[in-house]
Amino acid sequence: MNYKPGICNFCGTGCGHLISIEDGKIKGVFASQNHPVSKGRLCVRGWHIHELLRSDDRITQARIKKNGDFAAVDYSEAVAAVIKKLKTIENPSEEIAVLASPRSSNEESYLLAKLSRCVFKTNNISIDSESGHRNSLNVLYAGTGMAGMLGSLTEINQADFIMVVGSDITKQNPIVGSEIHKAAIQGTTLVTICSRNTQIAKLSDYHLQVNPGSKKIILAAMAKALIEENIHDSNYVNEHTEGFEGFANTLGSLNDNDVETLTSINFDDIKQIVRKLASAERAMVFFSSGISGLDEDTISYIYNLFLVAGKVGKPGCGINPISGICNLQGSYDMGAAPDLFTGFQSVKDDKAKMKFAQAWGTDIPASPGKDVYTLLKSGKKIKMLIVIDHDDGIIRYPKEISNCDTVVYITAFKNEFSKYADIILPIATYAETDGTYTNTERRVQLSTKKVEPLNDVLPAWKLYAMIAKEAGVNWNYDSAEAVFKEIASLTPVYAGIDYNKLSDIKGIQWPCNNENPQGTNTYLLGQERVKFVPVSGVFNTTSSKMGYPFNLMTGKANHFWHQNNLMKRTFIPKREYNATLLLYPRGYVEINPEDAKVLQVREKWPVRITSQYGSMEVDVKISNDVKPETAYIPYFIRDMLSGFLMEHKDIFDQGEDAIIPIRIEKV
Amino acid sequence: MYLIKKQQVVTIAEEMAKSHTVYGPVVEKNTGQTFLDSVSDISDIDLNAPLPSLPPKSILFPQIEAIMKYSYNQENKEAKISSIVKPEAKIIFGLRSCDLAGIQCLDRFFLGQEFVDEMYLEHRKKTFIVTNTCTTPFKNCFCACTDSGPSAKEGYDLNLTDLGEEYLVEVGSESGKELCEKLGLKKADESHVKQKAAVVDKSLAGFEEAATENKAWISRVMNRITTGFISQDIWEFIGDQCFECGACSFVCPSCSCFNIEDYNNEGMTHERLRQWDSCSYEGYTRMAGDHNPRKPIEDRRNKRFFCKLSYSQSRKYLRPGCVGCGRCAWVCPGDIGLPNVVTYIRREITEREINK
Repeated sequence: MNYKPGICNFCGTGCGHLISIEDGKIKGVFASQNHPVSKGRLCVRGWHIHELLRSDDRITQARIKKNGDFAAVDYSEAVAAVIKKLKTIENPSEEIAVLASPRSSNEESYLLAKLSRCVFKTNNISIDSESGHRNSLNVLYAGTGMAGMLGSLTEINQADFIMVVGSDITKQNPIVGSEIHKAAIQGTTLVTICSRNTQIAKLSDYHLQVNPGSKKIILAAMAKALIEENIHDSNYVNEHTEGFEGFANTLGSLNDNDVETLTSINFDDIKQIVRKLASAERAMVFFSSGISGLDEDTISYIYNLFLVAGKVGKPGCGINPISGICNLQGSYDMGAAPDLFTGFQSVKDDKAKMKFAQAWGTDIPASPGKDVYTLLKSGKKIKMLIVIDHDDGIIRYPKEISNCDTVVYITAFKNEFSKYADIILPIATYAETDGTYTNTERRVQLSTKKVEPLNDVLPAWKLYAMIAKEAGVNWNYDSAEAVFKEIASLTPVYAGIDYNKLSDIKGIQWPCNNENPQGTNTYLLGQERVKFVPVSGVFNTTSSKMGYPFNLMTGKANHFWHQNNLMKRTFIPKREYNATLLLYPRGYVEINPEDAKVLQVREKWPVRITSQYGSMEVDVKISNDVKPETAYIPYFIRDMLSGFLMEHKDIFDQGEDAIIPIRIEKV
Repeated sequence: MYLIKKQQVVTIAEEMAKSHTVYGPVVEKNTGQTFLDSVSDISDIDLNAPLPSLPPKSILFPQIEAIMKYSYNQENKEAKISSIVKPEAKIIFGLRSCDLAGIQCLDRFFLGQEFVDEMYLEHRKKTFIVTNTCTTPFKNCFCACTDSGPSAKEGYDLNLTDLGEEYLVEVGSESGKELCEKLGLKKADESHVKQKAAVVDKSLAGFEEAATENKAWISRVMNRITTGFISQDIWEFIGDQCFECGACSFVCPSCSCFNIEDYNNEGMTHERLRQWDSCSYEGYTRMAGDHNPRKPIEDRRNKRFFCKLSYSQSRKYLRPGCVGCGRCAWVCPGDIGLPNVVTYIRREITEREINK
C-alpha cells in the first residue's frame, strides 16, 4: 500500500490526508474520505503538501559561525558549542530565551520546555506567531476551566446558529469554513460580524459590516439586547453561572444611539439576530485565534454574550477560537509558555511545581519567565536566544536579535533567518519522525514517520535529548512514544491518551481520562458553576479624528501564508499566494469606489497615506469589500513592512480590531 | 467473448504480472479508503471495492512527475539533457467504466491533437486495461446521466462482468484476445450476453432517484451552457461558494491541466517537473504582464463547467467531458460539485420559465 494515512501539518484544522510514497520518497498527497473533520476535503495548501515534503531545500548539516562564515560541523561539535556557551551564562533566568514553534509536535515542544527549565534553567520560553491564542485560552480557562475550544468541529453540521466574528475563515482554515458553509446551506442561521465583505460574509444570512474597531461594541450591544428583551436564559444563568450581575452592570453605559453611530448597524438588526441566538438550541461562535486574533477584552465579550444566552456547556454548543497553525493548541498544552507547565498547570502553583520538579529530577526556576518578544522589546541583553523553526513574526525584530550574544537556530528548511544565527542545528521534518499534534478542537492526532530523515538528520526530540546529555542530564527516551507516555503521566487532560488509542484516524479530543476514556468532544456543564469573565466596560473606538478621516484596518491572515517559509517551497500555493504581490508589488491600500472617486484615483494609482506617526506611499486597490471611509492594508507582505507601519507595532499587538486613523491623498 | 470462473479471475492479473506492474482497487486498512494502487501481492486487490477515491489518471499522468533532467558543467561547457519518463508496463485490473471514460477523455486531449504529449503516450501505450462492470452503483455515482457506465462499451483490453459463478470476459483488443487464448478460457455464447444485459439493467435500476432524474437535465444543461443561455447571476452564486482549493480538478478522471516547474536540486542538476494544476486557481490563466482573462472566481467556475459539459469534449468529440463518477461532489468544500451545479442551473432555468 503506497498510500499512508497522516495529518496535514499546515493549519490548525488538522485535516486527514494520505501521502503516497515510492522508493522511499514522497510522491503525492490525497484527501482522506473518512477523517472525522476533513471528510475528504483539503485546501490549496493541503493539496500540495507533497511539494513541500519532497523538497531537498533543507539544512542537512549542523553549522557554526566561525569568522563570519558558516562552517559545516557534526552534531556533537555544534551541541558542545551550545553547552559551552550555556555554562558561561550567570543569570539564565534573565539572559536566556527560547522561542518555541507552534509547528513542533507535542513531544518536541514538551522536551523543549523541559530542556529550557531543567537544563537551561530559564522560564523564558514562549511561542512564535504572536500569542493571540493565549488570550482565547485565558478567557475560556477563567470561565470554564477548559483551556481550549469548547465545541467541536464535528458538531458544526448540527448547529442551529453560528456566528463568525472577524475571521476570514474560508481563507485561513478553509475546511472549517466549509463545514460552516455546508451547515448554512442546510438551514443553520449564519451571522458574520466583519468590517470587510469576506467570502464567509457573502455566504451568511446576516452580515453585520461594522465600522472597523467596533466589534466589542456590537457584542456588548447584543448581550444588552438579550437582557433587555428578557430572552437571555435566566434559569440557566441562575442555576449554572456566577458573576452575571457584574457583567450586566458593565453594559449600562451603552446606549442604543451610540451603538448605531459607532458600529453603523441598526439596533433592530441586532435585536433580530439575538432573538435567533436565544431561540437556538445549539449555538456556536468562531473567531481567529493566533495569527490574526482578537484582544482578550473582545473575546471576553464574545464568551459572556454566549453565556448570557445560555449557550455554554450544552451539547452542540461552543465558543470556538480557531488556531491558524497545526500545533498552536498543542504548544500551549505542552507548556511552551513562561508561566505554564503542561495542561495549563501554572508555574506559580506550588503543587504543580513540586510535581514537575520531582518528575524531572531537578529544581524549576522560581518565578515565571517573560515571553521572548517582550524581552526583545525591553532592550534587555539576551546572552543566548534559541529559536525553533519559526514562521515569520520574528522579522519584526531584526535589530534586537542581532544584539543577542549567541543565537541558536533549530530548523529543518533553509530560511532567511539563518543569517542571524551563530549555531544552526538541523532537524527532521514532520514526515520523517513520529509525533502527535493537537488541532484547534483539542483533537490529538498521531502523525507517523513516512520516510527516513534526509541525510540522517535527527528528529527534534532526539536532538533535545542530546543537548541535555551534553549538559549532564540523561533522559533515555527510546522513541517519540516514550516521550508521549511521560506527557500523559504529568498532564491530567492527556492522561488517558496513548499511541495505541491514536492509531486509528479519529484521534482523541482531550480531556481524556477515567471519566472520559474516549475523550471529550464538547465542554458540558459540570458541578461547578461557569463564570462570567471580567470585561473592561470601556467602549471607545479609535475613530477617525480631525484631519484623519479614514479608519485603516490592518489584516494579516489573508497573506500570512505568502510570507510563510514553508509555502515558499511549494509550487502551486506559492504561485497563488504570491498573486497579490505580483499585481501590487508595493502592496496596496484597499478603498471603496466612492472614496476613489472623491480622491480622483483609479486602480493601481499611487496614494500617500498619513497618520499621526508618519506616512507612506502605496498603490490603490479599489474594492467593494470595504465601506466608504474605511481602508484596509495587508501588512504581512514583506515590502509593506515599511517604516510607517513599523511605527505602529503597538497597534498590531492589539489584535485584529486595531485601527489607525489616516488620511489619504493622491500623489 | 469468453468466460472465467470467479475464483480464477485473478489469473488474468497473475499472467500479466509476469511482465507488467499490477494496479487495482485496494482498500487501505486504517482509513477504509479505496485506492488504485500498485500491488506486489495480487490478493490485495478487491474487485468488489467501491469506486477508488483516486482516479486512474494518477497512473498515466501522475500528480507530480519529473519529465526531464538536465545539468550544465561550467568548466567543460557540457550540457546534458535527458528525458526520464520511461515507465514500466502496467495493467490496471478492475477499472470501472466511468474511469475508463475518463482515460478516453485524456487520450483525446493528450494524444488526439496537433501535438502528441510524449510523456502521457509513454505511460499510455504500456497500459493494459481490464474493466469491471459495476453491478451496483456506489454512493455519488451518476454515470447513467453521462453515458459512461455501468459497463464499458469500448476502449478496454478486457471487460469483466460478474454473472454470479463466473465472469463474462469481453475482448476489446488484440492483446486482450491473446491473453484469453493463452489462459485457455472457455468461449461464451448469446445466453451470457443476455445475462450481462440483465446485470446492467439491475445496476441501472439501483441508481438514486436524483441521478436518474437528472439524466435529461445534464444534457439540457449541456445545451444551455453551449448556447450561452445561463445568466451571470448563477455563475456568481456558484463562484461565491468556491474555495479555490483545486480538488475538483485533482479528483476528476478527465481533467488534464498541468503546470511545469524547473527545480534546482542540490549539486547543480535540475529537474523539469510536471504537476497537476487547476483552472480554479487565479494564477492559472494569469499571463506575463498581469493580464488575466479569468480573474473573478465566477469566470473560472464558468469555464470548468463549460469544459465538462460543452467544449471541447462534447462539441469537438461529441462525448461528455464529465464521466459521472461523483468524486467532485464529495471533495468540494463549497458543495458545488457538478451534480449540484446542474441542479442550480436547472432551478434557475425552471424559475425563469415559470416567471415568463
